[in-house]
Order: sequence, then C-alpha cells, then structure tokens
Amino acid sequence: MIVQADILKVFLYLGAALSTGIASLSAGYGEGFAAAHTARAMMRQPNANNNLTRTMLISQAIVESGAIFALVISMLLLFGGFTSRETDWAKAFSLLGAGLAIGLGCTGPNFGSGYSAGMAIDGIARNPSKSGRITANMLIGQAITESGTIFSLVISLLLLYTVPAQMEDPTLMKIIVKSCAYLTAGLVIGIGTFGPGAGIGYVAGKANISISKHSKDQGLITRTMFLGAAVSESTAIYALVVAFLLIFVS
Amino acid sequence: MDPNTTQILASGIAKGAAFLGAGICMGIGALGPGVGEGYVAGKACEGVARSPEQAGLITRTMLIGQAVSESTGIYSLVIALLLIFTTS
Amino acid sequence: MKSKKMSLKTVLIVFFLIELIIAFFFLGSTLHIGTNPDTGQKIWFEKKTETMNQEIDFDIQPDLYVEKYNVEEPWKFTYGSKNLYDIFVKMFGTGSAILNFRLWRMILYLDIFMILLALFIRFKSSKIPSKIQVVFEMVYGFIDDLVAETLGDNKRHFTKFFLTIFLFIFFSNWSALLPIPGISEPTKNLNVPLGLGFMSIGLVHFLSLRKKGIIDYAKGFCEPFFIMAPLNIVGEVSKVISISFRLFGNIFGGAIITLVISSLTKNVIVPIGLNLFFTMFAGTIQAFVFTMLALTYLSMEIVD
Repeated sequence: MIVQADILKVFLYLGAALSTGIASLSAGYGEGFAAAHTARAMMRQPNANNNLTRTMLISQAIVESGAIFALVISMLLLFGGFTSRETDWAKAFSLLGAGLAIGLGCTGPNFGSGYSAGMAIDGIARNPSKSGRITANMLIGQAITESGTIFSLVISLLLLYTVPAQMEDPTLMKIIVKSCAYLTAGLVIGIGTFGPGAGIGYVAGKANISISKHSKDQGLITRTMFLGAAVSESTAIYALVVAFLLIFVS
Repeated sequence: MDPNTTQILASGIAKGAAFLGAGICMGIGALGPGVGEGYVAGKACEGVARSPEQAGLITRTMLIGQAVSESTGIYSLVIALLLIFTTS
Repeated sequence: MKSKKMSLKTVLIVFFLIELIIAFFFLGSTLHIGTNPDTGQKIWFEKKTETMNQEIDFDIQPDLYVEKYNVEEPWKFTYGSKNLYDIFVKMFGTGSAILNFRLWRMILYLDIFMILLALFIRFKSSKIPSKIQVVFEMVYGFIDDLVAETLGDNKRHFTKFFLTIFLFIFFSNWSALLPIPGISEPTKNLNVPLGLGFMSIGLVHFLSLRKKGIIDYAKGFCEPFFIMAPLNIVGEVSKVISISFRLFGNIFGGAIITLVISSLTKNVIVPIGLNLFFTMFAGTIQAFVFTMLALTYLSMEIVD
C-alpha cells in the first residue's frame, strides 16, 4: 500500500503548516499578553523600566520555545528526506500526527506561560524591590508549564523516527488500524496537554502575584505552587501514556 | 466488492475507530481536570499568601479538591484503556 | 527499636551486595522480552553476551556494523538520516530490552558515588564547616524542615528516605553532564522512575495499612460508595503512573531534544544552552517535584 509521491506531499505539507501555524498562534498570544502587561506596568513604575524590559524579554524567550520546537518539526517534515523513499499510508498518517502533536500540544503551555509572565510583570510593577524573587519564581513556574510541550515534542519525534516507512507484512486491516493509531497518538497528546498547560500557567501566575504582595512567605508560596502544578499535570501524563500505548502497543 | 474484503474492511475500521475514540476521549477528558485543578491550585497559592499560618489546612484542602476534580480524568483514562485493549 | 534499625541496615547491605553481584557477573549482557530475531520464536528472555567495549560504533566502523547486524543502509528505508537512525538505535537498542545491564552498572556507579560521598562528608565534618559541608547541611536542613512541616516534628526519621530519593534523582539527572561514552542518565530509562514510584507509593500504602489496620484500610477504598472501589484502585495505580512518567517524560524528552538538535547542527554548535536548561534546571526541579509529591502522598495517609 504505497502512497503516491504527490499524496505523501499533501500529508507532509499539511503537517508542517498545521504545526507551525497553530503553535505560532498561541505563542503570539502569550508573548503579546506579556508585552501588554509590561506596557501597563511601565505606566505605573517608569523607574523600573530596565527590570521590566529584562523580565519581559526572558519570559517571551521561554514562551517562544514552544513555537521554535514546532518550527523544528516543520523543517524536519519539509526537508528531512521523507519524500525521497516509498512510504505506506500508516507512515503518512504518522507524519501528519507528528505535526498535529507539537502544533496543538504547545498551545496550552504557551497560553499558560504567557499568563504567568504577565502576572509576574504585574507583580514587579507592584513591588519592584522584589523583582529577583518574582523572576526566579516565574522561571520555575514556566519550566513546569513547558513540560507539556516537551511531552508533545517527544511524541512528535517518536512518530517521525520510530515508525517504519513500510510495514513488515501489510494487510488492509493492519494499515487502517495503524493509520488511525498514529494519527490519534498525535491528537491525544496535542489536545491533552492543553488543559494542564493552561491550568499550571494560572497557578504560576497567581503564585507570582502573591509573592509580590507577601514576599516574606515566598518559600511557602513556591512550595504550594510546585505541589498544585505537579498534581494538575497528571492528566497530561495520562495522555502521554495513552499516546505511548497507541504508538507501541496497537 | 468481494464480501470477504468488506468484512476485513469493516473490522479494520471498527478497530481504528476504537483507537480514534480512545485518543479523543483521553485528550478532551484531560482538558477539564487540567484547567480545574490549576484553578484550585492558583487560589490555594493566594490563600497561602494571605494567611500563611493556615498553610497546612489550605494545602490539604487543595489536594482533596484536586483529587476529586481529577476523578473525571481517571474515568477518561479507564475508558481509553478499555477501548485500546478490549475491543477487537 | 535497636533490633529494627540493625535489620534495616542488614537489608540494605544485602541489597547492595546483590546489586554488585548482578552488575559484575552479567556485565555487558542484555535481557530481552519479545521475539528472538535469530529464530523468530516468541520468547520471554534472551541473554546476549556482548561486552560494551566490543560493541561496534556505526560512525567508526560502518562496515563491521553492517556485517554484524546484517543490514544494508538501514537508515534509508526506516529513518530520515543516518545520524538520527544511529541516535535512536543507541537510545532504544535494536530489540526491546527490558533490563539493560549498562543501566544496572550506571546505577551501581551512582550508588558507590553516593556511599563514598556520604562517608566523605561524615568523616570530614567538623565544627568549622568546609564549603561542601555547608552545601550538604543546607540541603539536609531544607529537606528536614520540609518533612517536619509536612509530617510533624515526631516523624523526622523520614528525612533519610526522602533525602536519599532527592539526591539519587538529582545525581542521576546531572550525570548526563559527564562527557564519558557509555554514561547516561538512569532516569532516562523507564524502569528507574517506575521503580522509584512503586517504592514511594508502596511505602505509603504499607504505612497506611500499619496505622489504620486492615479493616479501616479497606474501608478507605470504598469511599463514597462501595461501587466506587475499582475506580479508587485505578486512582491509586494512576498515582504511580503520574509520579514516574512525569520524571521519565521530562528527562527523556530533554535527552531526545538535545541529541536531535546536536545531530541536526552536525555537533558544530555544542548545545550548552539545552544542557543548561534540560539537565541542570529541569533535572533539579523534577527531583524536587518527585520528592515533594512522595512526601505529600505520605502525609495525606499518615497524618491525622
């Protein structure tokens, strides 16, 4: 069941376009959120503009990392040599799934990181003397938020490189089942990380603003944030487990 | 079409649909609990900041609330695993 | 109380000796589960004697590699490029190994390192602390305060357990920084996080059973109704899954990303930034998150 070269290109181009397209949408929103809050914060604290700009740039770099991962996957899909050899339908669907996984998968974490960055900047505007603590907490929060993106990237790379180009003994039934399984593996991790990503972002944002209000309890707040974020992440991990099962067990 | 081929096609589509269903079930099922648990934890952070002496109580309440919110995520996981392993 | 402590020490020493014996007797062999590639039979396990030094590296000896594994330009029909093929063969092996003794040896190195570190700190400690002593006192004090706040002042003896878990995961994650071939993070292999997860959650259930008695323990599963018992059991199992896959996913993802990006840039740009983020920053955070979650699950069961 070899896919014609032109039809394989449809899958590749669609995967590449969806991956970077959806990822850029969310990354743009997140970075814009951070920048908007910076602009408002500048109005309140014109003296702290160096601090605010630095925090904004750091946080935007982290929010952008999801979009950069998606760009890497797009580049691999376009120029990774996948058109040069004969592939069957299952691999074609796995290529589309790889694009969808990272594209959808970094949506939630990007929204979340953006929210956390905006709240951190609000916090600095409220209490500029504690900007170091708030930035540290923001970085820790964003590192936990980004683990959804990392899960999606893992599934994308597994779909790209561990799915063989041609099945060993292809039958019609096997091809249909495997195609569905690979496409779904991309979808499940893509949609599944949205909720946890947004939720952890909310936790990290609230923790940032709380530290600016009550900076002497920073240890306690960061610990509560860790705990809440770690528990919120568990549904993303269930999605990761289901994706692994779909790739390797189906 | 040859009836034998139709039979194979139908069973293949059924199993494929089971996988598709498993993925969509777990994917969308992870949405609500994720956002909800995050909201709980965010409010708990605010609460701890406001009254740090009650931190133990607040953390405990947060964990119980999250455990209950997560139960729907676990139901999704159960259904997804059933769809993957028991359908044929 | 004294006899209990002695027996625990004996158990630990016996485990360490078993680990030593396994690591040195089966050095370089691999247990497999699945299909035997030579005969095509389904088997439970297979022992391949192949020491690490004789393993053929594709980049150095491609002819021998192709002859040995009986492949003709394998990357062309399964993988995108030669470099990535090589990476994934290195990462997953050609079969599905359940027990890789390279992993076992890596854990052994870590154990010996941690024992030596503990002895060093124990015998070098003085009233006027050196720098390394200050660092470890800080770490100990941090975990000790955490345990005392979460479990209560009378449960400080759990500090040893949680400090060991924290330091083990921390050193495992950071061992990726050593530029020695054959050394990789043990936490990258799913077996290690799963083992740690089962250990932590098993401890929670054992202590809960001892505290409540068997009837109350069983009643705990039947909340709010009797019918919900299967779902509660699934919930407990999913705790193990979530705590171990969190560690595994983050470390494994970081390792894959670092490998793929360094191979895409042909190793020209050494990915220092990626190592800085994934290994050092995320590694430390994940070690702390694991410890914190294990501690919290324990506190929910044994604190009134």
